[in-house]
Amino acid sequence: MNSTGMSALGGGGGRSWSSTTSVSASGKRIQKEMTDLNMDPPSDCSAGPKGDNLYHWVATIIGPPGTPYQGGIFFLDITFPSDYPFKPPKVVFKTRIYHCNVDSTGNASLDILKDSWSPALTISKVLLAVRSIFTNPDPYNPVIPGIAHLYLADRAKHDELAAEWTLRFAS
Amino acid sequence: MKAKRFESFFTQLYCVQLASSSEFICKDFFLYIESNQFGLFATSTAQIHDTPAAEGAIQGVPYIEKITFHLLRLEDGGILDERVFRNDYVNLAHSMGVFLYDDLLAIVSLRYQTIHILQIRDSGRLVDVRAIGEFCREDDELFFNSNPQVPLNHVGNGLQQYQSILESSFLSGIKQRLLSFIFRGTWTEETDQTQRIQSLKKKFYFHFQDYVDLIIWKVQFLDRHHLLIKFGSVDGGMSRNADHHPAFFAVYNMETTEVIAFYQNSAEEIYFLFEQYCDHFHSTSKNSLSMNFISSHSNNIHALEQLRCNKNKASSFSQFVKKMLASLPFNCQSQSPSPYFDQSLFRFDEKLISAIDRHRQSTDHPIKFIARRQPCSLKFKIKPGPEAGSTDSRTKKISSFLFHPILPLALSVQQTLFLQSSVVNIHFRR
Repeated sequence: MNSTGMSALGGGGGRSWSSTTSVSASGKRIQKEMTDLNMDPPSDCSAGPKGDNLYHWVATIIGPPGTPYQGGIFFLDITFPSDYPFKPPKVVFKTRIYHCNVDSTGNASLDILKDSWSPALTISKVLLAVRSIFTNPDPYNPVIPGIAHLYLADRAKHDELAAEWTLRFAS
Repeated sequence: MKAKRFESFFTQLYCVQLASSSEFICKDFFLYIESNQFGLFATSTAQIHDTPAAEGAIQGVPYIEKITFHLLRLEDGGILDERVFRNDYVNLAHSMGVFLYDDLLAIVSLRYQTIHILQIRDSGRLVDVRAIGEFCREDDELFFNSNPQVPLNHVGNGLQQYQSILESSFLSGIKQRLLSFIFRGTWTEETDQTQRIQSLKKKFYFHFQDYVDLIIWKVQFLDRHHLLIKFGSVDGGMSRNADHHPAFFAVYNMETTEVIAFYQNSAEEIYFLFEQYCDHFHSTSKNSLSMNFISSHSNNIHALEQLRCNKNKASSFSQFVKKMLASLPFNCQSQSPSPYFDQSLFRFDEKLISAIDRHRQSTDHPIKFIARRQPCSLKFKIKPGPEAGSTDSRTKKISSFLFHPILPLALSVQQTLFLQSSVVNIHFRR
């Protein structure tokens, strides 16, 4: 892997509006969470800021073994609001996934990213929560009812389709 | 008088009309399909730089309203099939955007970031094999549409669903493959977890958007399954001086839909592969026997010496690597197999002439071909341009050459920059 010199492409420009030296409360908080995440990342998860914009991250979740998502590499966009941690981050799948809790444009629909958000939660917790929907989808609060219905009615067929999606769109 | 001279060498066999009213024939596009003696021509409407935005199209690439590829049977000029690309952009100059390998054709749609793989059947039909870009496998799109994720309140409207796909910001199929390859590489490179996450942060996440923004801009086959794809920035793709823009090479297996290698254009690893195995990058076709005799630094000691000399002369090795790799992926059928370019037989100034078809600066002096064998005598000279020499020696002149693959015959075309009529010479051995 050779990616030296890439900074010529991305350096400066539109993504530098908030530098890592920002003294804002949200910036400090995100910075700390990054340090904590780097010390002790959840298994099969990793994340980091895109370019030098602390508020825009990319995360990767490796499809957990034993699930139909095994073998897939799932990329997610994580956007922190300026009043983080008082508002939750927004998590969007950049990789197509067949899942009843991810809508057709990639938005991950999780309780903790909506009403159940608490400023005590961290990006590590968010990644863990996203990873947990790979192993335990929530078919009772779906954004794609068709997939939830199949999950409940014919689990084998659901898993077969999810695995096929993983192979085609996430490998 | 001059027309007669031309006719003493060439006989018109037939005349076929290809271009419709608004299209014109692309003079520097032609591919020869040796096995069936077919020819692929292209016609197009004028290129428009002021590009209208369109769904699925990238910005910053010019567009052409209509590009038509015409497959002809060369024996009698019969038109066998054609393929039209609308509101698209394929780089037709020097056949750059199209590559032929055996019966497989790769056409790069720059505007829609899709590599169209077509097969030329013996019957003369052009058949779509797959389109690589948004999707990777040939039936991915079909599979995707037959297993719809119908969201709440959006039941049953196919068009609406299609639009929601376009509006979404999912990575295209080829980008997903590329990014997961880079990710896996960085992940497995480090075994210590803390080191690994640091390395991902620096090498992968920091540059993630830059990788996402890369566009496919040139492709060649390495064999029937593997493509060498050049990725670059939109600006780098269109500008002549691409030196300042980072570019990357990916080797993609279109059967398994896997990226199997990825290099930056300054990577010494791919340069050394190129230095040692140059001929593997030139594999145009398995049954093209004459192509085996093209001199390269991998098969010819004189070409290798020249390469080493250039390497030693270069001010910086990394600049030299970039310059050498700039020729990859190769243009299809861009090299003449003529024995006059066999560097074991002749020595000539590669700045003025070589087996590679490209426009070159032209001087008023004839180009000398000198025998390699002792006593290294001058064997012949080739002089493009008017016989009496040009009237104005200050005008910049550009020449290109076309050598017959086996017969002692060559054409030279000399043009001045100011659209004066070009001078075509026929060179032959008496």
